[in-house]
Amino acid sequence: MTTSSGPWSDCMPASLAAREILCVVNVREKSHQTRPNQTNKMDPSEVEFLAEKETVKIIPNFSLDKIFLIGGDLGPFNPGLPVDVPVWLALNLKQRQKCRIVPPEWMEVEKLEDIREQERKEKTFTPVPSPYYMELTKLLLNHASDNIPKADEIRTLVKDIWDTRIAKLRLSTDSFISQQEAHAKLDNLTLMEINTIRAFFLDSLNCMYKLRSNLQPGSSQGQFMDY
Amino acid sequence: MPCERKPMRYGHSEGHTEVCFDDPGRFIVTCGNDGDVRIWEGLDDDDPKFITVGEKAYSLALKNKLVTASSNNTVQIHTFPDGDPDGILTRFTTNATHVAFNSNGTRVAAGSSDFMVKVVEVSDSSQQKTLRGHEAPVLSVTFDPIDDYLASSSCDGSVVVWNIEDQTQVISWPLLQKTNDVSNAKSLCRLAWQPGAGKFLAVPVDTKVQLYERGSWDHVGTLSDDLLTQPINVVAWSPCGRFLASGSVGGSLTVWDVNSKLCVERQKHEKGFTVCGLAWHPSGGQIAYTDTEGCLGLLDKLSTSTSDTNATKVTRESHQASALDFLCSDTGSLKLGQDQFVEDDVRGSIVAPGLAPLVPLRPAYEGPLPTPPQKAFQSGSTPAHLTHRFMMWNSVGIVRGYNDEQDNAIDVEFHDTAVHHAMHLTNSLSHNIADLSQEAVLLACPSTDELASKLQCLHFSSWDTNKEWMVDLPKGEDAKALCLGQGWAAVATSTLMIRLFSIGGLQREIFSLPGPVVCMTGHGEQLLIVYHRATGFDGEQALGVQLLQLGRKKRKIISGEALPLSHRSYLSWLGFTAEGTPCYLDSDGVVRMLNRSLGNMWTPVCNTRETCKSKSDHYWVVGVHENPQQLRCIPCKGSRYPPTLPRPAVTILPFRLPLCQTGTEKGQMEEQFWRSVLFHNYYSFLSSSGYEIDEDEQNKSQKEQQELLMKMFALSCKLEREFRSVELAELMTQNVVTLAIRYASRSRRMALAQRLSEIALEKAGEIQGEGQEEQEEDYGQSEVAGGLGRANPFKVRDPNVATCFLTWTVKTGTVLTALIEYFQVSEKPSSLSGPRVTNILDNMTSSKKLNALSGSAGKQNKSPVLKPLAPRPKGKVSISLNLSLKTQERTEEADDQKQADDPPAPSHTDDTENKRAKTGFQLWLEENRKSILADQPDLEETDVIKEAMGRFRTLSAEERLPGPDPEYIKTLSRKLDDTRKTKQEEVDVREGSVAWEPCRACYSSDGTKH
Repeated sequence: MTTSSGPWSDCMPASLAAREILCVVNVREKSHQTRPNQTNKMDPSEVEFLAEKETVKIIPNFSLDKIFLIGGDLGPFNPGLPVDVPVWLALNLKQRQKCRIVPPEWMEVEKLEDIREQERKEKTFTPVPSPYYMELTKLLLNHASDNIPKADEIRTLVKDIWDTRIAKLRLSTDSFISQQEAHAKLDNLTLMEINTIRAFFLDSLNCMYKLRSNLQPGSSQGQFMDY
Repeated sequence: MPCERKPMRYGHSEGHTEVCFDDPGRFIVTCGNDGDVRIWEGLDDDDPKFITVGEKAYSLALKNKLVTASSNNTVQIHTFPDGDPDGILTRFTTNATHVAFNSNGTRVAAGSSDFMVKVVEVSDSSQQKTLRGHEAPVLSVTFDPIDDYLASSSCDGSVVVWNIEDQTQVISWPLLQKTNDVSNAKSLCRLAWQPGAGKFLAVPVDTKVQLYERGSWDHVGTLSDDLLTQPINVVAWSPCGRFLASGSVGGSLTVWDVNSKLCVERQKHEKGFTVCGLAWHPSGGQIAYTDTEGCLGLLDKLSTSTSDTNATKVTRESHQASALDFLCSDTGSLKLGQDQFVEDDVRGSIVAPGLAPLVPLRPAYEGPLPTPPQKAFQSGSTPAHLTHRFMMWNSVGIVRGYNDEQDNAIDVEFHDTAVHHAMHLTNSLSHNIADLSQEAVLLACPSTDELASKLQCLHFSSWDTNKEWMVDLPKGEDAKALCLGQGWAAVATSTLMIRLFSIGGLQREIFSLPGPVVCMTGHGEQLLIVYHRATGFDGEQALGVQLLQLGRKKRKIISGEALPLSHRSYLSWLGFTAEGTPCYLDSDGVVRMLNRSLGNMWTPVCNTRETCKSKSDHYWVVGVHENPQQLRCIPCKGSRYPPTLPRPAVTILPFRLPLCQTGTEKGQMEEQFWRSVLFHNYYSFLSSSGYEIDEDEQNKSQKEQQELLMKMFALSCKLEREFRSVELAELMTQNVVTLAIRYASRSRRMALAQRLSEIALEKAGEIQGEGQEEQEEDYGQSEVAGGLGRANPFKVRDPNVATCFLTWTVKTGTVLTALIEYFQVSEKPSSLSGPRVTNILDNMTSSKKLNALSGSAGKQNKSPVLKPLAPRPKGKVSISLNLSLKTQERTEEADDQKQADDPPAPSHTDDTENKRAKTGFQLWLEENRKSILADQPDLEETDVIKEAMGRFRTLSAEERLPGPDPEYIKTLSRKLDDTRKTKQEEVDVREGSVAWEPCRACYSSDGTKH
């Protein structure tokens, strides 16, 4: 059990700790964001950044005592013994061939097939296995496809689920606008999905509002509806 | 008639199959579309013997010899069970569809697709009789048990009874639907003649079975079941002739009682496949059946007692079957007068001497049967017959073996890549057992006709360039099990020998085992061997275990005691915990660990089956850790071992001692306490064998145990269980007992407090006694070890050493907090009075006294504070300190000798036995109290102490030593021997040892009694 697999820097370079800080800063920034010109804008990479805080099981091939980070304690790392770590650390270790990643439970062909069927059957959005399913799939499959059985099939399945959901989203957006609704509630949407539609949706709503307010003086209700 | 339907298993490739039992009922014999005849020793037989009889096998019959109808239009004979071809019995122009033996096995009847039925003498195949008359392929043939007649069914729709001698039709019934070929027939229409006197001929017609009486050929009955909706394919009589079983197209299996014509058993094929083969076990207790998908199934435990006659029973024991046949028919007749004729005929069949007995007699031995001894295995390996298998999975890494068409290779992978990179070896010698350690990979292969059994070691940690060595075992000796330890390797061979090698390949000790090895494992210097002690009976294994210490001092720790296993289980994993305690897993999933503090007995620590979801799930253990308490294993769904792909993931199971009532708070705490005690045994083992131990961890565990004891104490106080409270107090250390006394007196349990104080006194006395004993032992040891023995800080007289100790302790933060904790529980300094000064002096001059006074010192040897001084391989204490200690010790010994000559100081201590000596802090406080009070005059007593503690903490180690007190020196000088050098030195020593005191007291306060 007594382990001495090299200094801290061997397994956890300083950049990781820096990432931790960056993470905290970034989250703060997001929550207090008041830049008026950039409101409503969120990069997919930023969503991905948030997704990297999800935990995933890895099987390390080194040993290291508990490490104490701002985000919480991680470890201890025992070679061959699964341990939960955030995705960013898992990917970093994987890239340096310090671990094998155990795919999350839902990342399995049969389960995803079920979810896909369910998603296709239901008219509304069905619950997804993880709030960051798309990001996690992308990250894990890009960096650790050798640890995930049937990676290609999983990629296709998740893409299918994504496409189905985005199609539903477009459809409901369309009906939202065409029916001139003021309020809509969508359950089970993930951050990434909201983010893909947000920019376009808000811009177009803004645009429509402008057009409408131009029309407003002296315009009849009928014309308004026409638009 | 309840029976157990065993799960189906794969037997043959898809297509028509048939099944029968051999005469003694030992084997199930099946044939199938793949042209193989398989001989199963039971349904669980994973490796049945097989005989290939052709491209396809259409039908088989077995009676001393095996007769099969195969695709090359012949009926062949094979010997049984050897399966050697024994000639061709007869030929047809197209394939035979069904073959059947007569009751004594002298003739074979075969029906063929060329419309013919032939009856052939087995001994002389030239004696054939051909029965012509069918106008379509023959479906089935069956002999009359008295050999006069033969019945056949055909696709032309007729069921015909033939007179064999005359080769003429006796009678023909147009019962079936006409078809043009067997493959198009709705039913196989397998006929069956009642055994014994052959009273009835059973003919499956659609969903019913028609019974025809022999001789008169009248239709005498119909067996039917409302639940049967599809045509019946096959029928078979029970050996006693009372029951008739049928298998139908939809997969229904039905058993009727022929007397009452009632259905007594209904079973459904688990997948609803068509049943095409059916056979009763000669004992009548089992029915084997096969389906058109090639699967084999078994109905077991047919108790064949009828629903309407409760007294009748057909036994399962074959040697009793005929006698009970008689019985059953007799009682049947009493109950059912209308079935008189059955009874007569069955009885007739038993009396009839000319008939071969249906059930062969076997010697009746009813005692316990010996268990086949389990084979030798490597723990952490999967079965050797797999093409992809784990040859070893342990805490170091994984060795995988591949043995398929493309590749015969071994992959070695390390969990910790810092140990070594992964290796890929071609397995040209076909090694089949392996072990892996931090130093080497050890492989062995069995001997072949030309080559001897070899042992190969890849010593990757070697510092020279030769990383590999190989040894041939002597001729006729096979490696059965092997293991690696630290610096050595061991091989158990088929000649009941254990050969030890050094890791570099040097041959070392060799010794014999009392029995064939089962498993072997090594850790550090320990070697654990499990072997067959004797023959087990009734499913039990009789295993023995040896635990050897192979270090410099070689000895046997466990010498061939029996290894306890769960009922009817076998050993499935054997190993050491990471800390070096032997443990093992049996096939019932119970993990047992060696309890070194309980006379090396085995304590069950976990039942892995409790956490399994399904009955067929198992856990495959890969490692055990005592600290933290982890059972690392791989969950296997529906099997005992994991496949190599997908790569299995390790999970962790907690340990749980199987104590009673762990649902209650009391039971829970008891379990925690004893588990904690058990899982920290290894500290004493490690320290006794000279390894470094983590004192912080040990203290933590001891503290945890004492806390649990205190909790249990409080609980039993609450429950008014004062006797139990006292029992608990006996397990506590003296310090905790004082806490318990306080608890008891606060909760106004004076009687309890009284008893507890008695215990406290007792404990103090014990500690004194032990201390003395230990000390005497110490003298002996240090002499033997020549200065390498453990140094006792309380004997230290040299001032330099004392300061050394002090600085060392002060440096370790835990000691500092311990010091404060100690102070908080100790008496108020204000209560200290004059006379105790002399006590302190006594402490200085006689270390024995000191033990008695401090009371809480615990066993000196076990006191962890002493540990840094003990020689350790990887101690954290600097070498210089160790060196200085060694030199000083010699002078010490001289001092001790002198001291031993001194008469023991008169005991001032009787009344003050439980009171403590002054600590360094107390002394310092006394000196500095005035200055504190001057600074802050309005402080309460407790505040003064707090303030003082704060100041004391900021001081450096040297500053903490109080200045020489003239009073002390005077008293001291009176007591000093002439050998003592200067007063100043002596005072320093006193200070050193006094400053030590609190730490020691505090540490040992957590120590257990042992």
